[in-house]
Amino acid sequence: MSMTATAGRAHADPHHIGLVIEHPGPAPKRTVTAYGFWVFLLSDIVMFSCFFAAYAVLVNQTADGPKGSEIFEQRNVAIETVCLLLSSFTCGMASIAADVRNRFWFYLGMAVTCVLGLIFLAIEFREFADLVSRGYGPSRSAFLSAFFSLVGCHGLHVSAGVLWLLTMMAQVFAKGFRADVLRRMMCFALFWHALDIIWVGVFSVVYLLGGGA
Amino acid sequence: MQAVPTLEALMLGKLDWSAIPFDQPIPLIAGGVVLVAILAVLIWVVVKGHLPYLWHEWITSVDHKRIGVMYILLASVMLLRGGSDAIMMRIQQAIAYQSQGYLPPEHYNQIFSAHGTIMIFFVAMPFVIGLMNLVVPLQLGVRDVAFPTLNSVGFWLTATGALLVNLSLVIGEFARTGWLAFPPLSELSYSPGVGVDYYAWSLQISGVGTLVAGINLVTTVLKLRTKGMNYLRMPMFCWTTLASNLLIVAAFPILTATLAMLLLDRYLGFHFFTNEAGGNVMMFMNLIWAWGHPEVYILVLPAFGIFSEVVSTFSGKALFGYRSMVLATMAICVISFMVWLHHFFTMGAGPDVNAIFGIASMIIAVPTGVKIYNWLFTMYGGRIRFATPMLWAVGFMVTFIIGGLTGVLVAVPPADFMLHNSMFLVAHFHNVIIGGVLFGAFAGFEYWFPKAFGFRLDERWGKLAFWFTFTGFWITFVPLYAAGMLGMTRRLQHYNVAEWRPWMIVAAIGMAVLSIGVICQIMQLVVSIRNREALRDRTGDPWDGRSLEWATSSPPPVFNFAFHPDVRGEDAYWDMKIAAQQQSLEHDVPEYQDIEMPRNSPTGFVCAFFATIMGFALIWHIWWMVILGGIGAFATFVVFAWRDHDEYVIPAAEVAAIDRVNLEERRSLVSMAGAI
Amino acid sequence: MSDQTHMPAGHDLAPGDEEQHSVGERVLGYVVGLGLALILTATSFFIAGTDLVWQPSIPVALIVLAIAQMGVHLVFFLHITTGPDNTNNVLALAFGLLVVFLVVGGTVWIMSHLNQNMPPMDDFIRMHS
Repeated sequence: MSMTATAGRAHADPHHIGLVIEHPGPAPKRTVTAYGFWVFLLSDIVMFSCFFAAYAVLVNQTADGPKGSEIFEQRNVAIETVCLLLSSFTCGMASIAADVRNRFWFYLGMAVTCVLGLIFLAIEFREFADLVSRGYGPSRSAFLSAFFSLVGCHGLHVSAGVLWLLTMMAQVFAKGFRADVLRRMMCFALFWHALDIIWVGVFSVVYLLGGGA
Repeated sequence: MQAVPTLEALMLGKLDWSAIPFDQPIPLIAGGVVLVAILAVLIWVVVKGHLPYLWHEWITSVDHKRIGVMYILLASVMLLRGGSDAIMMRIQQAIAYQSQGYLPPEHYNQIFSAHGTIMIFFVAMPFVIGLMNLVVPLQLGVRDVAFPTLNSVGFWLTATGALLVNLSLVIGEFARTGWLAFPPLSELSYSPGVGVDYYAWSLQISGVGTLVAGINLVTTVLKLRTKGMNYLRMPMFCWTTLASNLLIVAAFPILTATLAMLLLDRYLGFHFFTNEAGGNVMMFMNLIWAWGHPEVYILVLPAFGIFSEVVSTFSGKALFGYRSMVLATMAICVISFMVWLHHFFTMGAGPDVNAIFGIASMIIAVPTGVKIYNWLFTMYGGRIRFATPMLWAVGFMVTFIIGGLTGVLVAVPPADFMLHNSMFLVAHFHNVIIGGVLFGAFAGFEYWFPKAFGFRLDERWGKLAFWFTFTGFWITFVPLYAAGMLGMTRRLQHYNVAEWRPWMIVAAIGMAVLSIGVICQIMQLVVSIRNREALRDRTGDPWDGRSLEWATSSPPPVFNFAFHPDVRGEDAYWDMKIAAQQQSLEHDVPEYQDIEMPRNSPTGFVCAFFATIMGFALIWHIWWMVILGGIGAFATFVVFAWRDHDEYVIPAAEVAAIDRVNLEERRSLVSMAGAI
Repeated sequence: MSDQTHMPAGHDLAPGDEEQHSVGERVLGYVVGLGLALILTATSFFIAGTDLVWQPSIPVALIVLAIAQMGVHLVFFLHITTGPDNTNNVLALAFGLLVVFLVVGGTVWIMSHLNQNMPPMDDFIRMHS
């Protein structure tokens, strides 16, 4: 387009506010992809905030059922938390390995992350199954509804993350560290770390604050 | 565990022959006609051999322009469906004085619920998202959106939602709960049928599509801009797109969460919004409106952007107060999250809460007022051309100001206590949504149609459409204000108050005039397609435009721009035109280069296919099919992730050939203008 | 669009991407993050179960600790910084947090007023029985 280059510099700063930094043009794909995923994560956090809000509103609506302090086991939650924190660390190791294209450390990091995620899910599943078997299922009271959906929603995200993680490993195995695979790995790492942040909210608000009351 | 379920229940869930409403002739005939029409179109497509073209060029296309057009097509078809609902309601209320009218209550309730749901989610949303998709990458001077394949997924998921809503016409029923499905009415104990499930699942699925579109457009505006396109040089439509999509990204998850809670209540016996076990009905109102109020700004902000473009172009002036416009847009973006309680002033939050939200609701009118003044000052002293898009813009200003003022009125809590849930309110939000969003969508449709298809729309039919729609609108909705003042509440299937009747009859007449407007719009399309050679736009700049979408041919090549334009100021294309005239024309031959474009992908379509299966199965409790759909959707993404070539190359010679044709046309235009 | 892992100067950094560091430095970052997160978590669990601190301060302390830990995660795991190449990422985060704050805060505030003026059915029955 020959006409494009001809516009005068006078238009660069129509309001005479001084230096104008020219926008360099479209960003590289890696930035674009990660930014899009970042925006998705923020929207996901807003979704979680609704479940947090619902929990805060309904926490005292126990309908003569159990209160939080009667059913929460701090020890389990502590183990779950440690699992997730360690998995965040190993996930970080895996993403460093992916960046330097080291397959061994990548597989190791991802495998450990996966195992830790599965342990977390197993403990959570046992907690849920135990509550349901004692008659404290989500339909017992509004408080339990809110509890099960908030914690369960996080659990569903972790499950989806594990599925994604396994798919990522298979993809690296099949396709190697291609640019698009690395971009996905980066999004996965963001996702996994963000789940940790949500979990910090969950254990603080649900288990510790709710458990003490 | 009680009895072992029968094989039939396992295979078909709740589905059986009673789901088809043989006893209700209206939906059955309507559904039959639509089915025949769809079959006829399908047979025509197959017999004429258009299927490969449709598949390769449209269904699997990841071109933002094609996807934008498909969004708008979906919105237009759904507008006819939602409009038919509106006509039926107006007729019912005109004749149902001291009688049952012609629609039984359970059917009437489905109609008003479907009308609202369809008009907001499947008309207004896809229309504005379609226009943003079509135009924003062009205005930013780039070749595509940030995530082209995801864009296609988003569109097809929206289409899935629309399909499910319309499926409810012939298989089962739709919600009878109003367009927001308030509990406890929408809970299982009061709505045991599949209506609310149709409603919730179609919104969940299309909501995912909308969220994807929102993420895509936010990233596009923030990360993909051509050289020199600083934030404060973006066309106003890009700014409103940014604001609107930020709201989508922040608000739609709230809808998803709220509907998920409702679905958990209905499917698994949770107690979020039930009357028993500590559930809290009010929390639903609170959460759904925390989405619902930003939603109206999601719809109207892009319309504001369209009007900014239209008013500036047809006044031949740069937009007045560009920076104040940007500020107003972003202010609306944030404040729209602080006013949601005004939808339920009457539900007992008390004076403190009501006062604060009432004040916030009045404050949000201020940036909107700033915008109105900016448009007026843009017109002031301009050389105004009253082409059809400009007519819609002027009609909008008149309509929207009145709608906005009645809005400020109901933002006063004591006044709202009198007017809540009355026909006055119905008139108010139609006043802003039709006058704002629909007029904006029509203005954008008329304005950018030549860009999308390469020929202008017939002006005579366009103006007729405007005048009929505009007059019809006022004849329909002024009576509703009056009826509301006389105490008529909304959603009445019949009534016994004699004073309301004349107003309802006038409103029905207005609806007829409005329908003529819609027919004119269809005629405009037909006539324009017939005369397309006479209306052909060869230069790519039919309106003497100011922003970059007019710098490329109409319709634009698949790569939009042979070179990323270099932007040096606001109104980028206008500056280029001026500069080109001043310096006569450079005739250097640019060095064309190969262009990489994303390959087509059936991912969106296949994914939506599985989403449809899953949605339908969830509604009817057919669990094996849900699992099948879920696995299918996951497999679709894995297949997509596994492909080896995601881009194809357009060779430089081809780029050159396409671009030269456009440059020649444009040069002749500019030299002609220079001669005058 | 090009497929570079690291972008030329002038662009924002991708969220999650660090500035150029050696592998050792990057690992160290994660180790520090993990250490801090574990300490904060342990403190939270300790405070929640202890009688050693003034009881009414516990909820506040827990919330402060949670926010601090979220910050640690953001900085050490998600690599969100205040640098100029991170402006867009931080602005998006700020917008998200604003909405979270409005939704949670607004809901709690509104619902507490609603409950006071129009108690849910269960409370209502309990109050009058």
